[in-house]
Amino acid sequence: MPSLKVTGLTFSYGAQPLLREVAFELRPGDFMCVLGPNGSGKSTLLKLLTGFMKPAAGQVLLGGADTAGMDARRLAGLAAYVPSETTTPYDFSVRELVLLGRTARAGFWRGYSRQDEEAADRALAETGIAALAGRAVNSLSTGERQLAFIAQALAQEAKVLLLDEPTSHLDLKYKASVMALLAGLAARRLAVAAVLHEPALARPGCNKALLLGHGGEFSFGPAAQTLTRESLARLYGLPPSSPLLP
Amino acid sequence: MGKSKGLLLLLGLGAACLLSLAAGPAGLSPEIILNLRLPRTLAALAVGAGLGLAGALFQGALKNPLSDPYILGTSAGATAAAVFCFLAGIERSSPVFFAAVFAGAFGATFLSYWLARLAGRLSDAALVLAGVAVSAFLSALVMLVLSAARERAFSLFNFVLGGLYAAEPGVLLFSAAVIAAAGTLAALRWRALDAMSLGEEKAYHLGADPGRERLIFFALACAATSAAVAVGGTIGFVGLMTPHIIRLISGPSARTLIPASAIGGAALLACADAAGRLLFPPAEVPAGVIMALAGAPFFMWLLWKNSRGRA
Repeated sequence: MPSLKVTGLTFSYGAQPLLREVAFELRPGDFMCVLGPNGSGKSTLLKLLTGFMKPAAGQVLLGGADTAGMDARRLAGLAAYVPSETTTPYDFSVRELVLLGRTARAGFWRGYSRQDEEAADRALAETGIAALAGRAVNSLSTGERQLAFIAQALAQEAKVLLLDEPTSHLDLKYKASVMALLAGLAARRLAVAAVLHEPALARPGCNKALLLGHGGEFSFGPAAQTLTRESLARLYGLPPSSPLLP
Repeated sequence: MGKSKGLLLLLGLGAACLLSLAAGPAGLSPEIILNLRLPRTLAALAVGAGLGLAGALFQGALKNPLSDPYILGTSAGATAAAVFCFLAGIERSSPVFFAAVFAGAFGATFLSYWLARLAGRLSDAALVLAGVAVSAFLSALVMLVLSAARERAFSLFNFVLGGLYAAEPGVLLFSAAVIAAAGTLAALRWRALDAMSLGEEKAYHLGADPGRERLIFFALACAATSAAVAVGGTIGFVGLMTPHIIRLISGPSARTLIPASAIGGAALLACADAAGRLLFPPAEVPAGVIMALAGAPFFMWLLWKNSRGRA
């Protein structure tokens, strides 16, 4: 069974269609990059997948279950989402922040259970930030904070992980380590989808690619066939000879 | 919160109570302490707890460290409703009074929220501006009514200024019960408040429905504010300052923040009221004036800190 199956997904702000009958599916172990020019609907697509925004038409199945009308708590158990902007004015410790990933699984009123603590420990270890557990989130570097929010998403223990520009604002070393981390998560049977800005980053780790163009066109397929120089040049409106293309 | 920090907080509350019972130009006669200062201290504790609680809930639910019932217009809405009730002859002991004050608080809060939301994304500054606009309008409305109804203006003026005078035992008891109930219900939902303090989008993806949580926490905060206003009128900045001080002591998690803000608010207002009696004896400075003197610079400091990226 696919972890995530999307059919006929359509959305528009006003009259201009942003996404038109987008369809794709991800299986356990898939790592998909979502590429496209600014304003092509990449971030909107992720929010439609989690039900945070409602599509005009189409269907999203998570683990085989239709997400239409599903409540936030159940959705959080099926798909975890890391937003592009991850700030809070309050000085939560990294461990407190990661434990909040257990919100949907823990009762609202009681303390965290042993399982919750263990899930947080695993997420901290997997993202390599166990040593930062006691630090205040706002004292971390941008890269460390991104890892903390990824750890929070992992603590949700959902089978689908969605990330909006997880590598923006990061230096090359952190970009590489975040991409390696995500590829590793896919290797342990998660389905991962990440909005990216640089096609070069997608090359090593992603096995699927979704390209979103203006006016609702899209193409989806195996990364090796989809991320060609010609298709990327067309996508970003660059000459095929551009040195910026991988 | 560790045991030592909880103990520290309770010691602070005890000290504030003793100060409030002892402070005043009339010295330490048992009669004055028992008949005048004890009820007044209890009123300060209840009002302070309600406002501290409301501040913690607003700051969490809105992910906005600059919010509190005074700044959002909640207090102004409650005060306006209370003044209209007095003029209509509805007394504080009537259940209609409480319903009206709650409706005023809730209406004003959602009006501020809705105005701030008009711009699209909810920003900290937009919320403060909307709250100021709603508060200013409601205060002007109250002043207009007070100017017109001159014969009752003096007693109402004291109410609007914010102060803890002779609270009727029945009103005080009812208000304290409302605040305790709101505090208990909020404390049970601490995890949802923590999720909301990461922002609506993040809260949704963690499994908390932001629309529903906002409604619940607004309702609880408005109930606590209404109960506080019914006893003490418009007293600002307790709700703003208390959660910030508590976060420095015991961290940001709502699990400790909610109960600790109620206790801290009670201690803070009891101190402010005592200070008002000590400053210019035999004259009394209303607790609301003392809180504004301390709170306004605190708010400016928060604005400055916030403009530098974090608060």
